[in-house]
Amino acid sequence: MRERTFAPSRILIYLIVSLIAVAWLAPLAVVVLNSLRTNEEIAQGSMIGWPQHLAWSNYATAWSGFCVAETCAGIRPYMLNSALITIPATILSTLLGAVAGYAVSLWRFRGDNWIYGIVTLGIFLPQQMRLLPWTIVLRDTGLMNTLTGLVVIHTIQGLSFTTLFCRNYYVAIPHELIRAARIDGAGFFRIFWRIILPLSPPILVVTVIWQFTHIWNEFLYGVTFTTGQQQPVTAALIALSAAVADIPQHGVQSAAVIIAALPTLLIYLLGGRYFVRGLTAGAVK
Amino acid sequence: MPITTTRRRLLAGSAAALALPAFARAQSAVKPRLTAISQWSAGSDGAAITALGKKFEEKGGTWQHSPVPGFTTEMMNKLRAQIIAGDPPACSQLKGPEIAAWSKIAPTLDLDAVVAAAGYEKVVAPDLAKLHKPGGKWIALPLQIYSTNMLFLSKRAMDKAKADKIPVTWAEFNDLADKMKSGGVAFPVANGGTRPDDGQKFEAALAGISPAVYRAAIMNLDEKALKAPEIKAAFVQVRKIADWMDPNVGAQHFSTNLKRFVDGDMGMMIMGGWAQGVLRNAGFKFDDFMIAPGPSDNSKPVFLLNADAFIFWQRKEPDLQAGQTLMAQLVMDPAIQTMYSQITGSIPVRTDVDLSGEGWSDGQRRTAAALKEAIASNQAVLSLAHNMAQENGMTAAMIDVITEYVKNKTIKPEQAATRLAEAVESSR
Repeated sequence: MRERTFAPSRILIYLIVSLIAVAWLAPLAVVVLNSLRTNEEIAQGSMIGWPQHLAWSNYATAWSGFCVAETCAGIRPYMLNSALITIPATILSTLLGAVAGYAVSLWRFRGDNWIYGIVTLGIFLPQQMRLLPWTIVLRDTGLMNTLTGLVVIHTIQGLSFTTLFCRNYYVAIPHELIRAARIDGAGFFRIFWRIILPLSPPILVVTVIWQFTHIWNEFLYGVTFTTGQQQPVTAALIALSAAVADIPQHGVQSAAVIIAALPTLLIYLLGGRYFVRGLTAGAVK
Repeated sequence: MPITTTRRRLLAGSAAALALPAFARAQSAVKPRLTAISQWSAGSDGAAITALGKKFEEKGGTWQHSPVPGFTTEMMNKLRAQIIAGDPPACSQLKGPEIAAWSKIAPTLDLDAVVAAAGYEKVVAPDLAKLHKPGGKWIALPLQIYSTNMLFLSKRAMDKAKADKIPVTWAEFNDLADKMKSGGVAFPVANGGTRPDDGQKFEAALAGISPAVYRAAIMNLDEKALKAPEIKAAFVQVRKIADWMDPNVGAQHFSTNLKRFVDGDMGMMIMGGWAQGVLRNAGFKFDDFMIAPGPSDNSKPVFLLNADAFIFWQRKEPDLQAGQTLMAQLVMDPAIQTMYSQITGSIPVRTDVDLSGEGWSDGQRRTAAALKEAIASNQAVLSLAHNMAQENGMTAAMIDVITEYVKNKTIKPEQAATRLAEAVESSR
């Protein structure tokens, strides 16, 4: 066994890394601690402090108690809305992105690079710029103020990223593989299904994590294109934090933020080890 | 005199009846329904609008309120989307000069007849009324009022300064701050670090020094007034205030410092009347602090108005039209305004509501009295920091200058005055 060395440089590195980790985790620590403190305790003391007694009731209030307008059901119904938007939109945009990425990387056709360029251009368009066009689309399709409308928006917008990710991953697949399959008589979709998809899990995990996180955390479209009881969880969180004449409800807010972050956290924990691997795959050929 | 009033009322009433036959018919035939958009979703704001909705339903209506949580931008996006989709809400929350700006985007409802029937105009501050009738017709109705320049004094800080007199002018304010400082109050001025916070310091200073210059320079953007010596004097006062504040406040909400304020580590707070509700909701007592109108050099109260309002959008559906009439009547009703303000801690728009009864706090009574006096002496002006004086773009340009000045002490008052005038010029 190799002797463990504690060179000064190594200690220094660990020290610096630990300091960065502490700074990075401090805000989370404040949120976790505040989620266990009562509102009065925070208001009468300071934003940062240890809970005097554990106020678990914050979590109950956040989950099913506090009122948004005339309804007092906590963030529970809004979590459900977010799930109903996020899950279909993530699956659809990932699958479509995989097909599109496969087409532009392995099936050369006239203008393929242009199509790829235009699709990925969507990454660089600010959200606010797309707000009005989407409004018109939703109006004309009759999907204004429906969850379906948001699924459509996020699926289409997600294509920019998912196509980019998948294309960069598939570019590394040898063309000979495709050619051999074609000689055997396989068509576009059969090759995708039998050859490409089995090679794809790492990149699919990445796109799922990416899409899920972005759609789950999205606020602008969620609040603009829904109404009342259909709003996503991000809207409910903001509702908790924006009251003029009230002391900010830090305790309940913190608890609600933690609950609302759990699904994305879970996705990361389940698929995280693929994340960096998949992102960098195809980066260096 | 009483006869003329009655006759005028009668005339107005019959005019209303003539002008609104469709409404009258609709009201008798259909169940009034109201679709409304507002930011008020939680806390006392949410509770107040919910209570208003209950009243609406008691009167036989169907209440369909969809709150758009967040800040004004989100609500504007939602409103724009609904208008483009051809489905504007029957009414939506909007305030200040944005009412005039938005009324150009989609057709609004002419409320003149309903307002006249209620005799509402003469009980509303004139500058406020003007905002709600761009083009001469009432299209929006104010719902509640806050003053943005109330002065909150910490009892314990007053004790440390061995002072008991509430400062009336800026000179007295400065004296008291000095006394507090030497009496061991670490920061004589309590504050947050947000943009409206900084804006409020400036508007309180200028309006307190000269309401006339404030009106000319900030509300009417008069070039000469923007170069008046009072502007520089206001910036000098703001610098004094900034020197007494805790510089380490970042962009925190003012409420983060309430504990230090009540404990006497901080002395005075220039904040909107809503701070009273925040203090009370945080569990502090009325004995912990005092409330007075903000400093005014001519000793008569200056009132910086911030008022929430509803704008009414044209709809063809008879039930929505009936709902709009009912809503307008409710919003103007003194009993409804009382209910609303008692929940949120604001004061009623109507200057004829009696606040001596139960359910009102001393702070609210003092605010309402200040408003009456300020209107009488023409010193009720519109708040810049809270988007009442100018449209959003102009407000942002002006607050940029102010907030930089508060935080960067190398900028001299005369420089700031020039920059303010330049900012106005370039955003005209």
